[in-house]
Amino acid sequence: MAYEYAITICDGTGCIQKGVRNLRQALDDELAKHQLTDKVKINLSGCLGMCDKGPVIVVNPGYTIYGNLVKDDITEIVTEHLIKGNPIARLAIQEDFMYNRFFRVFGDAKFFGKQMRIALRNCGIIDPDSIDDYLALRGYEALAKVLTDMTPADVVEEVKKSGLRGRGGAGFPTGLKWDFTAKQQANEKFVICNADEGDPGAFMDRSAIEGDPHTVLEGMIIGGYAIGAKKGMIYIRAEYPLAIKRLEKAIKQARANGLLGNNILETDFNFDIEIRLGAGAFVCGEETALIRSIEGRRGMPRPRPPYPSVSGLFGKPTLINNVETWANIPVVIMDGAEWFKTIGTEKSKGTKVFALAGKVVNTGLIEVPMGTTLRQIVYDIGGGIPNGKQFKAVQTGGPSGGCLPADYLDTPVDYESLAKAGSIMGSGGMIVIDEDSCMVDIAKFFLEFTQNESCGKCTPCREGTRRMFEILTRITEGKGKAGDIENLQRLGNMIIKSSLCGLGQSAPNPVLSTIKNFREEYEEHIHNKKCRAGVCANLISYTITDKCIGCGACKRVCPTNAITGSAKNKHTINQDKCVKCGMCFETCKFDAITKL
Amino acid sequence: MDDKISIKINGKKYKVAGDQTIMHAADACGYHIPRLCYHPELSIEGACRVCIVQVEGVKNYVASCCYPVADGMKIHTNTAEIRRARRDIVELLLDNHPEDCHTCERDGNCELQRLAYAMGIRHRHFEGVKKHYEKDLSSPSVIRDPNKCILCGRCVRICSEIQGINALGQAFRGFETIVMPAYNKPFAESVCSTCGQCINVCPTAAFTEKNYTQELFEKLNDTDIIKIAQVAPSVRAAIGEAFELPPGRNMQGELAASLRKLGFNYVFDTQFSADLTIMEEASEFLERLQSGGKLPMITSCSSAWMKCMEQFHPDLIENVSTCKSPMSMGGAMIKTYFADKIGIDPKKILSVAVMCCTAKKYEAARPELQVNGMAATDIVITTREAAWMIKSAGLDFVNMKPEEFDAPLALSSGAGTIFGVTGGVMEAAIRTAYELFTGETLLDIEIESIRGFEGLKEGKLTMDGKEIRVAVAHGLGNAHKVLDTVRKEPDRYHFIEIMGCPGGCIGGGGQPYAGSNSVPLDKKALAARAQALYTSDRQKTIRRSHENPEIQRLYREFLGRPLSEKAHELLHTHYAPKKPVGITTKNKKAVIGK
Amino acid sequence: MAKALDVIKKKRAEAVGKIISKGYLSTKRVYVGMATCEIAAGSEEVMEVFRDAVKQKGLTDVYLSQKGCAGRCNLEPTVEVIEQGKNPVRYGQVDKQKAAEIIERHIKNGEVIEEWVID
Repeated sequence: MAYEYAITICDGTGCIQKGVRNLRQALDDELAKHQLTDKVKINLSGCLGMCDKGPVIVVNPGYTIYGNLVKDDITEIVTEHLIKGNPIARLAIQEDFMYNRFFRVFGDAKFFGKQMRIALRNCGIIDPDSIDDYLALRGYEALAKVLTDMTPADVVEEVKKSGLRGRGGAGFPTGLKWDFTAKQQANEKFVICNADEGDPGAFMDRSAIEGDPHTVLEGMIIGGYAIGAKKGMIYIRAEYPLAIKRLEKAIKQARANGLLGNNILETDFNFDIEIRLGAGAFVCGEETALIRSIEGRRGMPRPRPPYPSVSGLFGKPTLINNVETWANIPVVIMDGAEWFKTIGTEKSKGTKVFALAGKVVNTGLIEVPMGTTLRQIVYDIGGGIPNGKQFKAVQTGGPSGGCLPADYLDTPVDYESLAKAGSIMGSGGMIVIDEDSCMVDIAKFFLEFTQNESCGKCTPCREGTRRMFEILTRITEGKGKAGDIENLQRLGNMIIKSSLCGLGQSAPNPVLSTIKNFREEYEEHIHNKKCRAGVCANLISYTITDKCIGCGACKRVCPTNAITGSAKNKHTINQDKCVKCGMCFETCKFDAITKL
Repeated sequence: MDDKISIKINGKKYKVAGDQTIMHAADACGYHIPRLCYHPELSIEGACRVCIVQVEGVKNYVASCCYPVADGMKIHTNTAEIRRARRDIVELLLDNHPEDCHTCERDGNCELQRLAYAMGIRHRHFEGVKKHYEKDLSSPSVIRDPNKCILCGRCVRICSEIQGINALGQAFRGFETIVMPAYNKPFAESVCSTCGQCINVCPTAAFTEKNYTQELFEKLNDTDIIKIAQVAPSVRAAIGEAFELPPGRNMQGELAASLRKLGFNYVFDTQFSADLTIMEEASEFLERLQSGGKLPMITSCSSAWMKCMEQFHPDLIENVSTCKSPMSMGGAMIKTYFADKIGIDPKKILSVAVMCCTAKKYEAARPELQVNGMAATDIVITTREAAWMIKSAGLDFVNMKPEEFDAPLALSSGAGTIFGVTGGVMEAAIRTAYELFTGETLLDIEIESIRGFEGLKEGKLTMDGKEIRVAVAHGLGNAHKVLDTVRKEPDRYHFIEIMGCPGGCIGGGGQPYAGSNSVPLDKKALAARAQALYTSDRQKTIRRSHENPEIQRLYREFLGRPLSEKAHELLHTHYAPKKPVGITTKNKKAVIGK
Repeated sequence: MAKALDVIKKKRAEAVGKIISKGYLSTKRVYVGMATCEIAAGSEEVMEVFRDAVKQKGLTDVYLSQKGCAGRCNLEPTVEVIEQGKNPVRYGQVDKQKAAEIIERHIKNGEVIEEWVID
């Protein structure tokens, strides 16, 4: 159905308090009155970040933002703007925000409704290979502003005030990190962008760089100015060739435009950026391992303190932030800390990018304000679970995160709430799990990854995760025994508290959280030798029921000739021969085979 | 105002210095926190996590080896919770370790064994698969057994940080992590200098020397051959520690007696051949000095240093003295001079060297050191192997009645004695060179500037108005440094002593393992061993090599004079650049010898 | 010395000029998603169809550009058609055939192909 207008209504807390829901009713009534209901599409959005001007609605095409609305204004908007095509200047807000640029283009799509785009503001909008596209959207203006109006200390203060926290996982206050590094006296300092994204299924950093490489550069240059560094490095895994190509191109363009190199924007500030390629070790996302890797050594974490802000790359004070954190910086500077800290929750400001994957209708890359609930992400943005299946859990934080069951769906995503729920923010992986997944198997999957990727340096992580993996493997093979759960917990808690780096300190999370939230599944595996999701091959058996009409289809597909029976008579499966491949189950057209 | 801070350990208040780690502070307060990967001479690894403690207000346990104390800190070292975590960590190490203590080289002095005992591990909770690797037996000196490795990283650190060789590194990830030479090539093909420091610091038996004790026991029973031993200076200064004596007891007489009881027909002193080395080396130095030869001259008695030099510093080959080491000179004399003397076919002689060193095993096998087509030294055993043989043969070493070495390769000057400690060769050489050059006897013979454990020591003396500048380096890492100086300032030194091991031979890779109350390469133990040798020097009336009457006799009867043709044939050698796996070509011009 | 802000304003004006000179003000703008994920899903082929139409087959008054990932993983490759004064239209799971059809029906004839539109 072709519609002529798309109206986005801000359904954020601020606007709700200011009565936006009454306006919605008024708008519906007004549209109905003019028989426009079919021609205007209405979307609800999450907070649009203009709370002080609420209630706010956006009319597209044209990207007209109306603010401070009262009920009567709705009538005017419908009659003047929607019918006559004359936007109402009196009600329009003239703002040139850096964030949420996608609303100009995508303001009409449900998928984006609850999203708010700061880090990804240009992704999917501009041509990433064109610095002109970036410049046209106020690119590098934050840098210019910093170089014109702000001292390095002002910049640090602004970042501090914004409440921005590291988006790489641990959520350390970015401003504090900047402050520590800025305060160090040294003849040389470094700025590093951590683009070593290693979580399975995570692609936030890759997409951000591929879609808008210049914002990362701009953030880093600002960081260099703030802490007094002249050199920046982007550590990115070699498995990201396109992102690397785009970064290389962006760096070249920035140099040609006097935005990198000597005398940036005709000032006496000098700064340049180099790309360093990682070989793809997960642990090299840990900052001290990453630094060692740049130094040409084996990527293994070292104990902290000293922190990189004191002694980092080549022993020099080093400011290391993740891609998404850097991408936030130009917006923090341009739209200001005061605005930035209105977004999000009390302790977690701004937005967070997630790679939404798994059993969800709309898989994708999303950016939502902190405080958005898991339910909103899974159902409003993700579109819920496909094929009418039941939601079982959502796993946040990548391989080191926890699995949260339905009871936790109303948990707001922010650092503290997720931690309290038994998971972590992590770098932003989010995997939705439905009833067809076995939680023991899921835990085993993640642990297989982390124990493989352990750097091998510290004992708890190197040896402990392997033992946990062995116990889990045993359980999924039907060889679990009493005490296994307790041993998993004992090892898991010890590994979390004893390991050298964040990898080990979080590796047991998937196991501990599934034990906590889905203990009955573990017990079924161990004591009843049963996998309710039918995933663990050793714990399922196929049997033919009386529904069998003896068509012989299953017999023909069975690779081990485990099925016998004469035509038109009920067939049977020889359990000793059955390898549980499931071919018969898939083939049977009469639902005559059960999987238990 | 003092800069002490207040902390609490296990509820008790202490005032400690603020600029230290929890581990050191706790040590000072009398709490010895269990530890494994920590070593005082090496960088902090923080890897084993055995030294974890609880700090109030910190969510996770902290590794006390790397976590600094702070004012008001409340530390708990011994709660039930932390004890259990530590115990579990050690169990995890055991679970992936061969449980073959009874048949293990390190049974009885294994740090993991001690730790397991101290943790009170009586049951196993987490057993699973164990790693399995082939032993690397390729090296003539060091055996690598990755199965026993617990990945504390001490070997990797000593090899790079102290020795500057970087022969070892971790490879692969997680459970598959393994310490190996570059590309997992056989150790023999690697840059390993065979110094054996990895053995010294290894808490388990992941590194051990190539053991010749069984072979030697067999040969000692062979009545058809003449069995001759020679004993290096620093062996006597350290072997007592293997019998739980405090460091620094000189066990020369007990050693000579024990070796005879083991079946050796003659027991000689390598200190005698050290005097011989000085005669040749001092003469060579003077020849270079007087005839415009290549300077600075660098000593050549440390076999690990020789291999290191041929690999990493081939451009300086011409600077290195052509003198063989005392061991090889001694071996050469045994199979020529002494064989003649007693009128026996040298092929019937078994020449055994008891050394503080693993690299000597490698040296003994060098073909260019052969004498008349025979190996000068047939078997080299380390101090540890000697101690084991003595124990195994049931000899009461500690209460043994001391005996003398056998003539004519017995008598040594004080100069030969101090060979075993860093700076000793230089000091000995100066005592003789001075007299050979000036015709006057050097009276002030204890040269303090080149004594002690500074990594790099410099000294100078005036000989007939000519200033002679010398340098002393010990530990191969310091060797690299002094050679870089030589490249930059070729005229800075005239004579350089380099010893491969920290402290010189007394810190050799074949010395006794640290006891339960000590650490490997403990500075105090090294100092005590050095003192034993210096005391012995001081107690001697003959303290200059050229005054040794047996040496004088050797030249009179056999060699003629230093640097004679015969001396060149038997006591000097040559070197060739080596390029084993793992060498990266630097922009150094290699000067290939003639 | 010129203030950095003045310098950047000048640069922006130049950039906008350059974009316009490349035909940004055409009646229709077409964006093809070209991130790794989109390329993996086949967007290079799709881009080729559009490029071919503009360069070889004389399609005019169209500004063609690539763009990064908008986050619609399951619907890639995506193509966006933006007409001045109208709501943008996005097509999902576009392949070569669909691209050709989008050119014929939508770009040339102004018909939005509803069944392929992403909501």
